[in-house]
Amino acid sequence: MTDGDYDYLIKLLALGDSGVGKTTFLYRYTDNKFNPKFITTVGIDFREKRVVYTASNPNGTTAGKTFKVHLQLWDTAGQERFRSLTTAFFRDAMGFLLMFDLTSQQSFLNVRNWMSQLQANAYCENPDIVLVGNKADLADQREVQEKQAKELADKYGIPYFETSAATGAEVDKAVITLLDLVMKRMEQCVDKPPADPANGNGAAKLGEGAPDPKRCAC
Amino acid sequence: MDLSFLKVLERERVLEVLHRDKHLRKIEEERIRKMKCDLQDLRRKGAKSYARQYGERTCARCQRPLGKFWNTGAVCRGCSHRICSRCRVGVADWKCTVCHAYREVKIRSGEWFLEEKAKKFSATKDKYETVGEKLLNLYTVQRHIAVVPPTPPPHLEQDFRGKFRELKNSKAFTQSMEDLKDCFKSHIRKFSNSQHDVRGDLLTVDLNQKGTCFRYSTQKSLSDTDISKSCSLSKRESLPNLFKKSKDSDHEGSSTGAEEETSFSSEHSFNHRGSIGSIGTESGVFEGILVTGEMELAVAYNSGSSCLEITVGACRNLTYGNSKKKKSHPYVKLYVLPDKNSKLKTAVKKNTTDPVYNEVFKYNIERHLLFGKRLQASVWHSGPLKRKVFLGEVLLPLDGWRQENSTFQGLYWYPLCPKTETGTAEYNGH
Repeated sequence: MTDGDYDYLIKLLALGDSGVGKTTFLYRYTDNKFNPKFITTVGIDFREKRVVYTASNPNGTTAGKTFKVHLQLWDTAGQERFRSLTTAFFRDAMGFLLMFDLTSQQSFLNVRNWMSQLQANAYCENPDIVLVGNKADLADQREVQEKQAKELADKYGIPYFETSAATGAEVDKAVITLLDLVMKRMEQCVDKPPADPANGNGAAKLGEGAPDPKRCAC
Repeated sequence: MDLSFLKVLERERVLEVLHRDKHLRKIEEERIRKMKCDLQDLRRKGAKSYARQYGERTCARCQRPLGKFWNTGAVCRGCSHRICSRCRVGVADWKCTVCHAYREVKIRSGEWFLEEKAKKFSATKDKYETVGEKLLNLYTVQRHIAVVPPTPPPHLEQDFRGKFRELKNSKAFTQSMEDLKDCFKSHIRKFSNSQHDVRGDLLTVDLNQKGTCFRYSTQKSLSDTDISKSCSLSKRESLPNLFKKSKDSDHEGSSTGAEEETSFSSEHSFNHRGSIGSIGTESGVFEGILVTGEMELAVAYNSGSSCLEITVGACRNLTYGNSKKKKSHPYVKLYVLPDKNSKLKTAVKKNTTDPVYNEVFKYNIERHLLFGKRLQASVWHSGPLKRKVFLGEVLLPLDGWRQENSTFQGLYWYPLCPKTETGTAEYNGH
């Protein structure tokens, strides 16, 4: 099914409470189908998708070029009993889809816990994350307001999307936004001057161009 | 981390997923291997030859000559080499072809991610190993054990133990151990007394020798003559070093501030201090410098052109050459030991502890002459007033080379060692 004819292998991971729709979200993204049945994920799983990515960074040397990206989308069990297994997989993912259910206030409250799980277990202290409020189609059962969620996302400095795996709304956009963040992070990680922990002497940065705010403090 | 908390069916399910992941990983590994091969080919094109004079103005990549007024080339930000206009990628913020390719590979292979991850989880032994891989391996091993009972027949073990006790109690054994100790003590004393300027690392060799003798004697009690033989053996081994050492001192005496001499003398003085430090503490501290980090090297022998191709990829996590100012301008110096005239140097990288060189060096030598030769790749901090500070080295034996005309001899990260002979011993196994 897969071959090595791609330019990047990007590993993303979906996390969040049980039943928020991580599996259906990924199924919608990879196969563009919706399965309304709830089948709890056993531990971990992953889906794959090949996408074409167009570099949007105007400063980068790769601007305007298109690349073949192979996405490995890890799906994790939300259930507590699999927690030790799922969190162990956090460290091998390059970006995260932190999901909650718009019809469940509790799943939204748990976003905070998931964030600290990420900080502890992801590959760096501030990995690329996209906050996703799923089940946006169930407007009459909604418990979490957009403003509320947006505020939380702003607090963490991460993008927020309201998606629906049932209708497919915003699903692609959420994943592509995350991919974009990861792609930019790669460039930054490679181009940043070697970490100088004692004193960030700017003079040492050999020929460093415009000093853009470094997101990558890892 | 294991899967013991899962029910049998659940575990099967997870392992199925992990097997799928393994399949994807295999494809990815193959892709990365190809990518690195291409990079290596590109590097090789710009190989600097020992025979070529360093002052000559040529493009470091295509080796075309550069003019004095026209087509002068410009210095690449990545590798500090002079590059002609044809070997550049990008317009304003250009890099040379190799630096560009190196950067691309680092991004596309996911190396950037592994490096970031390694910073946070520094305790991980193998940074390439994913959690899934580890789990899968663990489970495969466990299953294997379950099928094949590893317990050996009990009588064998007892037999062995009994013999060991016998050996331990035997008088000859204890006697020889005492003799051995005395012999070495006096030997070392003699050594350090008689040879004022003896290189400390010789002592390390002796100590090592002692270790091996002890081990040997547990199998077969050594007679006194055997012991003295092994002592003289270690002494004989050290003679070339002594000779080399005196040659270095001569150089030092005639030093007039020329670059060559300075580097010799500084190297010599650090040799001395470094090795003493290593005996005392084994940690490699000298002049307040703790050797840290690794060097990325590839060595290949090209039988077509009868030359040794040495690629210096990069260094990482180097210690600071100037620890007070937290500064380092590292460069790598190569010798094909024992030939001290074979010096090759990379460019000096300013203000970094993770320099990227991407330089290929050619050393013309007949294959059979590689026997007994060692590659010494040392990292030096180029301080002000030509002051050099030793930051660590890698010693690789060049004999036992089996890869005939290999097109790609992979780049490997070698840990940097302080200047001791123990460093060599460590690599003999590779």
